[in-house]
Amino acid sequence: MTDKTRRRVVVTGIGLLSPLGKSPAELHEALFAGANGLKEVSLFETDGLWIRRGGEIDFDPRDFLGQANFRPVDRTGRLAIVATHLALAASGWDEESRAGRELGLALGTTFGSVRTIAEFDRRAVEAGPKYAKPFEFANSVINAAAGQTAIWFGLRGTNSTVAGGAAAGLKALAYATDMVRSGRADVVLAGGAEELCFESFYGYHQTGLLAGAGPPHPQPCPIPFAAARNGFSLGEGAALLVLEEAEAATARGATILAEVLGHASAFDPSRGKDAESAAAAVGRTVALALADAGCEAASIDVLSTGANGSVVGDRYEAAGLARALGGRSAEVPVLAVKGQLGESLGASGAFQTVALLESMRRGEAPGIAGLDEVEKGLPLASATSESRRLDMRRGLVHASSFDGSACALVIERT
Amino acid sequence: MSADAKIVVTGIGLATPVGVGTRTAWENLLAGLCGTTPVESFDTAAYNVHRGGEIKGFEPGPYFKTLKPESVGRASQLAVAAARMALEDAGFADGVPVDPTRCGVAMGTTSGEPREVERFDDRFLAGDLGAVGDEFMTLYPCHVIAVHVAAELGFAGSNTMIPAACAAGNYAFAHAVEELRSGRADLMVAGGADSFSRITYTGFYRLGAIAPERCQPFDRNRKGMMPGEGAAVLLLERASDAAARGAKTYAEVAGYGLTCDAHHMTAAHPEGDGAARAMSAALRSSGEKPEAISYISAHGTGTPTNDKLETSAVVKVFGEAGRHVPTSSIKSMIGHTMGAASAIEGAVCALAVAEDKVPPTIHFEEKDPECDLDCVPNEAREMRVDLAMNNAYAFGGNNASVIFRKHAP
Repeated sequence: MTDKTRRRVVVTGIGLLSPLGKSPAELHEALFAGANGLKEVSLFETDGLWIRRGGEIDFDPRDFLGQANFRPVDRTGRLAIVATHLALAASGWDEESRAGRELGLALGTTFGSVRTIAEFDRRAVEAGPKYAKPFEFANSVINAAAGQTAIWFGLRGTNSTVAGGAAAGLKALAYATDMVRSGRADVVLAGGAEELCFESFYGYHQTGLLAGAGPPHPQPCPIPFAAARNGFSLGEGAALLVLEEAEAATARGATILAEVLGHASAFDPSRGKDAESAAAAVGRTVALALADAGCEAASIDVLSTGANGSVVGDRYEAAGLARALGGRSAEVPVLAVKGQLGESLGASGAFQTVALLESMRRGEAPGIAGLDEVEKGLPLASATSESRRLDMRRGLVHASSFDGSACALVIERT
Repeated sequence: MSADAKIVVTGIGLATPVGVGTRTAWENLLAGLCGTTPVESFDTAAYNVHRGGEIKGFEPGPYFKTLKPESVGRASQLAVAAARMALEDAGFADGVPVDPTRCGVAMGTTSGEPREVERFDDRFLAGDLGAVGDEFMTLYPCHVIAVHVAAELGFAGSNTMIPAACAAGNYAFAHAVEELRSGRADLMVAGGADSFSRITYTGFYRLGAIAPERCQPFDRNRKGMMPGEGAAVLLLERASDAAARGAKTYAEVAGYGLTCDAHHMTAAHPEGDGAARAMSAALRSSGEKPEAISYISAHGTGTPTNDKLETSAVVKVFGEAGRHVPTSSIKSMIGHTMGAASAIEGAVCALAVAEDKVPPTIHFEEKDPECDLDCVPNEAREMRVDLAMNNAYAFGGNNASVIFRKHAP
């Protein structure tokens, strides 16, 4: 099925800001050690809410970019800009080498910044429209962070924002992979960014989907695949990967971290309401990604799952993976980073990908922290809280949105 | 499957301020009907402008067979209506004869479902946050537009939302073309949708960009843009598949170009750099020369700056001859429908190519020496249209040009 003559897509650098570290190494070491990035939220008031914890990041963009004017850039934009800065630095695309080139950007998101949008609107309603702030309006478009990032670094190529809930980060990586593969671009930054804010925190609080939500407000248990799980925790962050055409990357002397072998997307028309349809969509996505990559299920050495502690979502994913991978899904290490990072929506697929890549490169698979007992009947026998060392060459990363949009990537370490 | 497979438009759906229904909207655009009227969806008393391109009396019910229309937001309703029309127009009224897992959706938007966050804000300000239920998070995130279209149509293939602001429709078309060329899908519905919203209206009001009475692109006395709402969906498939089923074909999507100014969030590049690069890239990917373009659907918002910069970008790519390429802006009739704008204009390009007619720029009175284009003033024109270029520019510096070509079976 694969075309051996097609252009190959490689990863040459990573930049990230996460609740568990500000580099791939820090993130990996924290995950491997079983650390937890969830803490009492300080960005906004949580008085009167059942849930007060989230994957909040303490960061100042000036620590990375010096005394620049960040006033016109909101939190989502700052996350994206810092992660892009780190990714460009890691891949060797400095200002001089970028000059005259058209670098692309594909950024995953769920909300853009719903805080910016809501604050702009509330000010107009409360004080009158003439008091609304034009610079907030500029950031109210959902592609604002991608636009701000392009301006900051002079990225003049295709600039796309891909929205899709928890699948958005992977979908942005898939989008960028196709751009490079087809020759429409040579270098594309891809990943995602999402900020933690009151609007989405409260919004999800009211859905009852957050861990520990609702009467009789049990102890939050956002542990992926755990028998006792009761929802997810929200997180935030940004991660960008530099994708480039393999030969050109080699020719410029770049460090090749990994190759994106293939990807696929699918949709569950029941939007998660029908268990069979939901698992089938995950299974189809994974099977198509393997076919696009030209690999057998047996060649997959590790899984990076999108499981976040949500009661039905984790079940659908486990069932879908087993469908597409057969017994292999019960044999290989299972990463599920969202129990420790929170569900960072647009950014989370990129975090999953980075965690997978670092695990393969180091030969260290982080366990799922706090996973004492896997839900009975889940076909993921090897999901465990124990981190372990083993050789892994090829991995699969999958994520689905709450409403049924699924994406998977197959990645091989160099 | 191959990277150069021809992709064609075989169905069109339109929901616009000058009509909900593909034929109605197209005929009204050719007739030069103005669809901008006093705003009714919220109170504009506190503003100094009061008009916009709302779709009055829209009834979503007839377009919904699977979902409940009241269970989704307005942008989703408009998108589903356009998608359903596109499907029926393509002869698929009773469902598609294609494996649903091979059918995908690609949609664009600027704001998603802004009325949902407005409702949240109203409750916030009223001290009534307890009234917020699960609808905020299930109806608001913008990707629900693509999700709702796919769930309504039962499309189980890839589902993609590209919120590329006011160029989003063109971004969605481009993505759909790639999904078909790469063989990931056999059928794609692609387009854009946005609903009229207080947030958008307030923003453009604060930028001083809204015209008080009417939208007059390229006119010397133009006073600004006019916010609007709408949706358009094209049904796209490979030409070989369309031919095999004997489908009526409007046009071929010949190529596209996507660039970023990387200059300013809300202002275009002063030399139209990104816009010109997008047009050139679209020509390159279509294998066409500038002189072959018969018609340009302009971004043409009607703001003093946009129309001037757009004119210089056209001249940059087409040379002085660019001043004579018929270049109209339907925003003069329906306002700026945001993420739907380039989708609706793409539908217009496909129709223009199919029927050899181009819609006018209405409200045109006085030529502006700085916008010295043939803007097809006030009257539609019957003319041979072999190639139509659809240009769109957006916040964030996004530029997108898509070229539609007359289909030669």
